[in-house]
Amino acid sequence: MSTAITVPEDLWEGDNEGVITAWLVDDGGQVNQGDLVAEVMVDKAQYEIKAPAAGRLTIAKQEDEVVERGTTIASLDD
Amino acid sequence: MQPNNDQRLWMYRQMVTSRHLEERIETLYMEGKTPAFNMAKGPIPGEMHLSNGQEPCAVGVCAHLSAEDVVVATHRPHHIAVAKGVDLNAMIAEIFGKATGFSGGRGGHMHIFDPTVNFSCSGIVGETLGPAAGAALSRKMQGKPGVAVAFLGEGAANQGAFHEALNLAAVWKLPVVFVIEDNAWGISVAKQAATAVPRNDVRASGYNMPGVHVADNDVEGVFAAAGEAIARARDGQGPTLIEIETSRLAGHFMGDGEDYRPEGEKEGLQQRDPIPRYRQALIEAGLLDEAADTRLVGEAHERVEAAIRFAQESDFLPPEAALETVFV
Amino acid sequence: MTATTTASSSRKLTIARAMAEATAQEMRQDPSVFVMGEDVGPMGGVFGNTRGLHEEFGGERVRDTPISETAFIGAAVGAASDGMRPIVELMFVDFFGVCMDAIYNMMAKNTYFSGGTVNVPMVLMTSTGGGYSDGGQHSQCLYGTFAHLPGMKVVVPSNAYDAKGLMTAAIRDDNPVVFMYHKSLQGMGWLGTEKGATVATPEESYTVEIGKAAVVKEGRDLTLVSLGVGVHHCLRAAKALGEEGFDAEVVDLRSLVPLDRETVRASVAKTGRLIVVDEDYHSYGVSGEIIASVAEHDLACLKAAPRRVAYPDIPIPFTPTMEQWALPNADKIVDAFHQMMSQ
Ligand SMILES: Cc1ncc(C[n+]2csc(CCOP(=O)(O)OP(=O)(O)O)c2C)c(N)n1
Ligand SMILES: [Mg+2]
Repeated sequence: MSTAITVPEDLWEGDNEGVITAWLVDDGGQVNQGDLVAEVMVDKAQYEIKAPAAGRLTIAKQEDEVVERGTTIASLDD
Repeated sequence: MQPNNDQRLWMYRQMVTSRHLEERIETLYMEGKTPAFNMAKGPIPGEMHLSNGQEPCAVGVCAHLSAEDVVVATHRPHHIAVAKGVDLNAMIAEIFGKATGFSGGRGGHMHIFDPTVNFSCSGIVGETLGPAAGAALSRKMQGKPGVAVAFLGEGAANQGAFHEALNLAAVWKLPVVFVIEDNAWGISVAKQAATAVPRNDVRASGYNMPGVHVADNDVEGVFAAAGEAIARARDGQGPTLIEIETSRLAGHFMGDGEDYRPEGEKEGLQQRDPIPRYRQALIEAGLLDEAADTRLVGEAHERVEAAIRFAQESDFLPPEAALETVFV
Repeated sequence: MTATTTASSSRKLTIARAMAEATAQEMRQDPSVFVMGEDVGPMGGVFGNTRGLHEEFGGERVRDTPISETAFIGAAVGAASDGMRPIVELMFVDFFGVCMDAIYNMMAKNTYFSGGTVNVPMVLMTSTGGGYSDGGQHSQCLYGTFAHLPGMKVVVPSNAYDAKGLMTAAIRDDNPVVFMYHKSLQGMGWLGTEKGATVATPEESYTVEIGKAAVVKEGRDLTLVSLGVGVHHCLRAAKALGEEGFDAEVVDLRSLVPLDRETVRASVAKTGRLIVVDEDYHSYGVSGEIIASVAEHDLACLKAAPRRVAYPDIPIPFTPTMEQWALPNADKIVDAFHQMMSQ
């Protein structure tokens, strides 16, 4: 099964775009549900992206790429 | 002490000028910083502390000063610089890091020095009082006219340097005025969480000098308090401490998420924005009407725009110029 | 567990998170550890290194201070000598001027003055470095200034793995430790983060021994010695030199006090050539100390006069054209090597 990792709709307020500042797990790495996987920055604020499920990570949006709320940034496969 | 009509309009004009400057800097600063907020990028890199909301502190004090008087300002200096009459072109060029800036871009927005109007500032919290006291001492020793004013935030009143300078100035009866801009915050730390007294003006009594409080960001309240304090200083009666309740309408610095503010605080402050309030007061006093206001605001904006164009059109110094002016 | 090489784990941390994680782990198992500083509470530190601590441990143990560095750093000295293990933050190292007495006349000397009977187990963490146009009061490194003064250990991590291990070691150390973290390595995107600093970092607690340098890349032809962000410049320069057929070794000092002179000397004994890279001021600093340490030990091992790529002896200019020109970078290191070889 494949689960998408998306930027939660309520992660920040307003229509600002964010940028992925860090992937904290390498592409292809194994994660557990709830693990911190990435950081997204909006202005100077940093937001955490956690894994919604366990699985093997496939990164779709790289570091420095622009994301919006709702953007799919990776997938998890078991 | 009340301002006359010319002084009222002067104060309003300086506030409008300063605010327009800050609003323009805000936009220009964000160029190259979206969506990725990288401080190093854009025409104005680095930290940026805007003064929106604190204009009454600057104009109410500087209305009593002339070029020969000394002002030492903080990391949040633009409104004070405007009111002190620093050269706008050179100031904005400095903020852009250009050759035509006061230091050719070596200093930047926290280090604006205009010796022709005796203006300077420092980015180290609490380090404005000593230099102001020293300038006052120098005036006294040289028998030169003029007083000195140190600005500081309410957060800075917890620095040792604050207490040391107050005592020194009082012991030596120096012609200096200490002006606290109380915007209730030192970055994310609220005044009441960091300061043992609700109001810093009471601390003056520990140093045997008058302490004056100005409530509600009131332009003419500042004018009155500063007028008396500066007159005392000029008259050889020594220092005064003033605390002004003001408001920081922006973040601590550009990019501040301001999560620490209680819900609704910012909206409340915005509603008490001192500039529309003063405009209204001047209209009610019959000093201003819509047409005159439009003209005044337009002129103030054009002054800022011209200075921004000047800065934008200026060149950078060659990089090797970094090695120059370490010593005279 | 003491580890000196990066463990393989797919979980990575930024230095900011690594510092916070080490602090949290120590706070969980040692009630005497607490944190003080400006904006270290709910805000989590201007540079992110106390994020989450206030939430977990509350305001009693994670204290926002007044802007009173002399008082709260002095207070840390007093608390440290009375059974606590304070971690205090000086937001920018540039602000040391307002509180240096507490640091170098008390924190650093009380152990000696008491003949070793009074210890001062505290950590002073402070941010360093420029490159983002913050001007001359917010961009300095001052490594040499702190390392020059006897009585306090000084560490400067270049990546999250070392940052976590050094932080844990610093907290457990019975001596004062100055933990200097470079802003461009913190993983705060707005500071234009160096990606090489965000590395695999084990979840379990571990220490990196204070006083041990690391050879982060082996080589035969040249030794590059640096610390903090300079290590990343060196790694890039080593790569560029590799393409020219030269094999550079890169030594990450990690600690300035104690200084691991042995590792540096062993490397230079092997390569015969030394370039020291330091974002701190050129004169009277780390670069001079490293070169002297080699020269006074064995001049004969040097095939060429050592060189340094350091910050010129000027206050740090705001304008990016001047600042970027003055900062060390990989190109300058490569140039320095070329000059060395042409002599
Ligand atoms: C000695 C020193 N400590 C800390 C700082 C970091 N800092 C810059 S502004 C600021 C808050 C200052 O608060 P306040 O004095 O109230 O001025 P405001 O920013 O509100 O205008 C702090 C902590 C500094 N610049 N200098
Ligand atoms: Mg304040």
